[in-house]
Amino acid sequence: MMYISDKTKELSTYDAIVIGSGISGGWAAMELCRKGMKTLLLERGRDVKHLQDYPTANLNPWDFKFGYNNPMEDQKRNPVQSTSYNPTNKHFYVEDMEHPYIQEQPFNWLRGYQVGGRSLTWGRQCYRFSDLDFEANAREGIAVDWPIRYKDIAPWYSYVESFIGVSGQKENLSQLPDGEFLSPMELNCIEKHLADSIKKNDHDRLLTIARVANLTRGWDNRGPCQYRNLCSRGCPFGGYFSSNSSTIPAAMATGNLTLRPFSIVTEILYDEQKGKAKGVRIIDTLSNEVYEFYSKIVFVNASTVATAGMLLNSTSSRFPNGFGNGSAQIGHNLMDHHSSAGASGTHDQFADQYYKGRRPSGFLIPRFRNLHDNEKLDFKRGYNIQGHGERQEWSDKVNGLSGFGSDFKAQLTTPGPWTVWMAGWGECLPYYENKIALDPDQKDKWGQPLIRIDFSFKENEHNMMTDIRNSSGEMLEKAGFRNVDTFNYKKPGGSTIHEMGTVRMGRDPKTSVLNQFNQMHEVKNVFITDGSCMTSSASQNPSLTYMALTARASQFAFEQLKNGNL
Amino acid sequence: MCIIVKKAEIFLLFTHITYIYRTLDAIRVNRRAYLKGILAVGTLSITSFSVFKWVDLNKSVAPGKLWEKRAIIAELAELIIPETDTPGAKAAGVDHYIIDVMISCNPVRQQHKFFSGLQDLEKYALDNFEKDFLKCNTNEKRQILQHFADHAEYSNRILNKINNKLFGQSFFSKLKNLTVEGYCLSRLGVTEGLAYDYIPGKFEACIPLQPNQKSWATK
Repeated sequence: MMYISDKTKELSTYDAIVIGSGISGGWAAMELCRKGMKTLLLERGRDVKHLQDYPTANLNPWDFKFGYNNPMEDQKRNPVQSTSYNPTNKHFYVEDMEHPYIQEQPFNWLRGYQVGGRSLTWGRQCYRFSDLDFEANAREGIAVDWPIRYKDIAPWYSYVESFIGVSGQKENLSQLPDGEFLSPMELNCIEKHLADSIKKNDHDRLLTIARVANLTRGWDNRGPCQYRNLCSRGCPFGGYFSSNSSTIPAAMATGNLTLRPFSIVTEILYDEQKGKAKGVRIIDTLSNEVYEFYSKIVFVNASTVATAGMLLNSTSSRFPNGFGNGSAQIGHNLMDHHSSAGASGTHDQFADQYYKGRRPSGFLIPRFRNLHDNEKLDFKRGYNIQGHGERQEWSDKVNGLSGFGSDFKAQLTTPGPWTVWMAGWGECLPYYENKIALDPDQKDKWGQPLIRIDFSFKENEHNMMTDIRNSSGEMLEKAGFRNVDTFNYKKPGGSTIHEMGTVRMGRDPKTSVLNQFNQMHEVKNVFITDGSCMTSSASQNPSLTYMALTARASQFAFEQLKNGNL
Repeated sequence: MCIIVKKAEIFLLFTHITYIYRTLDAIRVNRRAYLKGILAVGTLSITSFSVFKWVDLNKSVAPGKLWEKRAIIAELAELIIPETDTPGAKAAGVDHYIIDVMISCNPVRQQHKFFSGLQDLEKYALDNFEKDFLKCNTNEKRQILQHFADHAEYSNRILNKINNKLFGQSFFSKLKNLTVEGYCLSRLGVTEGLAYDYIPGKFEACIPLQPNQKSWATK
């Protein structure tokens, strides 16, 4: 075994350790550092520094030898990740060959192992959950009740929104509470037309501009957004929120942060005598050496699947089945939103109108299903519809235009008809049998067990998809769209990149892992605030909720520590 | 030899049918379209399927063989997107793009289909105009390409989908797609053929279309 001297031990001891530097880990690090805690932020991938490590951010379309096509070799090496990246942002995704996992059923586990994680490539949509969501499990007797309600998290939503900068329009809806918004981006002609039609035809529905963490004015020394719509390459203007552009520099500025990339946390260490976590063990991926670090509290933000895997891998005589896993729920109840079903169409009006600039967002039709009792639908919960309107450009037209030559060229290079594409982002119920587990035999190149993912959408989700298809098609038809095509892409789980739920919050230690402050029921100095904590998925994009829960848990952890309770 | 071919034929026909079942499932056709699909098996088998062709299509195309055809590819691309008041495909270097993407980003079967399409086109020029394609005048070249455009696709949409899935896109469709992509991503295509706004700085949601307004090059 490894020998650790007292001197080394002293150097390896911090007030807090945060595992993972993505959207929630960045928040934990900043909050804890700002409270004066010496914090070690561990990241399994490489460092990505804001501005300087965005190699493609200023490139033009012609700078990519193969355009936006991924080479065959690349597709073979990365059969999962290459479905999501292209040559402009590939460097923010992992290599599948290097980071294998086992799919019991098709599941796209899309990952970015680097400082900032997937906050570099996220969709930036920021929607609050409401009590319709927090009360749903209890009301319907599904899974377990959320241990919090909207009033518990509302001030923390405000706190986070005020820091990251969210542009959006207040709409005064109970199912989608308003937030602290910067001025909204504008809807274009066809989107306004669709919004008017929806308002006229159904008083339960409306279409609003997306609420996004893109800055419509300068904010916190970042931005404003330059309307290039190249966010996933990293923004040279800091026009959108990421850990790299915002929370990590803020944490660093306190002088309390130690950032350690290339550090895979293999397990959390349990102190049997004190009944607490004492720290973590890591593998340094540059030297392949093993190190231990110690702290008073640990925040786990490794992402839903990896967090559960790491906990299951952390065994001790107290926790033979995984760290803090007396409930045997760790790894179970995996969720991902579905976003496969929707509709598109073209419109003949507004042929003399166009737009300038590339708005990095679309529109939102907030949830309108099951807002009331007795709706008699064949599914529970609901979905919100996200989409965008635009005029057809060359890439949309190429397959529809026949012939070749100068007429073809003229048509190809002028704006085509207005179109709208929209799809439903739908709630996925928490099913015990949707789960991750560790493979007993197979290991990765660092000797760590491979993760097996066993996930499928079920009847409730499939019925909802059918409804999305129908309702989307209807809304377009009522608004006078032609060539309305309703679709269901049937994408596998994971494709929406909203994995949630493997380490759920709940009121009862027998049936849940975390309490109402994201504190482990069984190990009081461990807090888990990434997507794994989610008790249900709702249909809203979840990152804003992770950030709010993280800020709230950080405050709680700090107070508990100060009061000598940890 | 005969027996081997027979066995291979049966095996491939089986794979062929399984493929079509899957394709049909994937595109969610109704019962009538499903029956059409069964008919499609027969049609495709007669028109474009042979064991020899299949085996051939699974061999890779040496990059050098495509580079040798660069002048023809450049000529074809220019026929699709000619120079007008803005630069054409040739000036934009689209031939280079087409070869790069064909070699590196396309399955072997698609590469082969493309290459044999070029060969067919050269042969068609010799057979019908008694000279090399490159020696034909513009009008003749256009007629030759038109022939391939006319025979690029089945009129039946489902048949097309199945054919594309099994054998790759037709020579003409692939050529056209890559030409458009190469042109609309090239420096000249982006900045002169289309309208390019490198850093827009602001978003104007609804503005009147300008006379001779070109499409935005990027979304």
